[in-house]
Amino acid sequence: MPALDKPQQPKPFKQRKSFATRRQEVAGIRSKFPTKIPVIIERYPREKYLPPLDKTKFLVPQELSMTQFVTIIRNRMSLMPSQAFYLLINNHGIASMSLTMAQVYKDHKDEDGFLYMTYASQEMFGQE
Amino acid sequence: MLNATLTYDTLRFGEFEDFPETAEPVWILGRNFSALTEKDEILSDVSSRLWFTYRKNFQPIGGTGPTSDTGWGCMLRCGQMILAEALVCRHLGRDWRWHGGQRQREEYVSILNAFIDKKDCYYSLHQIAQMGVGEGKSIGQWYGPNTVAQVLKKLSVFDSWSRLAVHVAMDNTVVIEEIKRLCMPWLDYAGAACSEPEPDPQRGLNGCLEGACAMAVEEMVLWKPLVLLIPLRLGLSDINEAYMETLKQCFMLPQSLGVIGGKPNSAHYFIGFVGEELIYLDPHTTQVAVEPSHDGQVPDDTYHCQHPPCRMNIRELDPSLAVGFFCQTEEDFDDWCMRIRKMSCSREALPMFELVDSQPSHYASADVLNLTPDFSDSDRLERFFDSEDEEFEILSL
Repeated sequence: MPALDKPQQPKPFKQRKSFATRRQEVAGIRSKFPTKIPVIIERYPREKYLPPLDKTKFLVPQELSMTQFVTIIRNRMSLMPSQAFYLLINNHGIASMSLTMAQVYKDHKDEDGFLYMTYASQEMFGQE
Repeated sequence: MLNATLTYDTLRFGEFEDFPETAEPVWILGRNFSALTEKDEILSDVSSRLWFTYRKNFQPIGGTGPTSDTGWGCMLRCGQMILAEALVCRHLGRDWRWHGGQRQREEYVSILNAFIDKKDCYYSLHQIAQMGVGEGKSIGQWYGPNTVAQVLKKLSVFDSWSRLAVHVAMDNTVVIEEIKRLCMPWLDYAGAACSEPEPDPQRGLNGCLEGACAMAVEEMVLWKPLVLLIPLRLGLSDINEAYMETLKQCFMLPQSLGVIGGKPNSAHYFIGFVGEELIYLDPHTTQVAVEPSHDGQVPDDTYHCQHPPCRMNIRELDPSLAVGFFCQTEEDFDDWCMRIRKMSCSREALPMFELVDSQPSHYASADVLNLTPDFSDSDRLERFFDSEDEEFEILSL
């Protein structure tokens, strides 16, 4: 039962692997799949409502739009259309949904060559 | 303090500060004022908004549930405030002003009655809390801005008096075609890309105006007044500074209904800004539930904030929020689209959401596209990264 050994919230990808390793990994995969974008998708550590994804590393066709990509991830999590879901690029802003992965990659790729995204829903408001 | 219980929030801020003496404009729901010369107008505008707070001693929700929403109802109250503002714009107009202690207009009484803490009122706390069950929130659980937006959308269907079209734009994208179809249900968009079957018996009319004229009188309203709510997340733990200007600009649009959001854990209804400070109505005061009198009039003093409104620095804003807009007519909506486009062209402000003409045609079918893992690629990959602990998942078109 290897699944049980995995911690609930794994360390962020960047902390699990050195910069050199990550860079090497991107170089290797880009040479094999030059038209695909290497993307790291992680759950916001304080996220309480969206389920974890079973994968962190994705190779995404560069012509895919953000809308399509978000739809894939939403379907993967079996979210209802009315559930809040946001993909934040580089822990920062939301990408425009009509951009292609290639455009987002060009503007926001990390020094290691990966495109980093974090997903989160919305916070709830109330007092203990 | 007869009926009001002060929470730590109001205690912490003590006396309500007056407006700052500043030459910077004060923007409230699409109107601007001078803090130097129009202080009375500012306070009159603020006190004319409906202010919903925690209440106690109301009928138990669902018959046996809570009789007070203190501690959990703040986002539900903010949802009530933004919708009440839409109803005020809808039935009374943005320039309507409240004058306490007078017999009020019939429309105003009807609006207020829709929010009284009773199970039968359209947008009562009872209705919102119970409709939230369908959104996965049991009664007494906290809501987010999207939760309350979704619930208000469902409740508005029953409000045949206001006949609002409430649209909640998901994935930070506003699709113009979707809204036009919602607000003009008599229009047939058969020629458009997304032609899903509708149960509407009037569908055969092919959208011509002559056809619309043959419809029931109430269907002839050419545009259902639009309440547009856009839930957003403008950062993870803190708001991304790049969005601050854009957010402020939302309060400058004539269609503004303000913003529901808050500081972490405390929901507020933001109605405007001055300089770097947001102006808001705070639901964190517990008042006693009000009983309408026999003639239908409601003692309404406690539904208006009669002290200077609270202010906070925009940097303290929790990134989870929803912006709201009201478009009474199609022209209002077209004007809103034009203004949003203009805003997104300016270099200083980063757009918080995207405005598109129609849903990309591949959107609806994205799940039938072959976007599952590509097995031939996976095989190659497996050989390539045999020693890797984590594999890539390959998506292919």
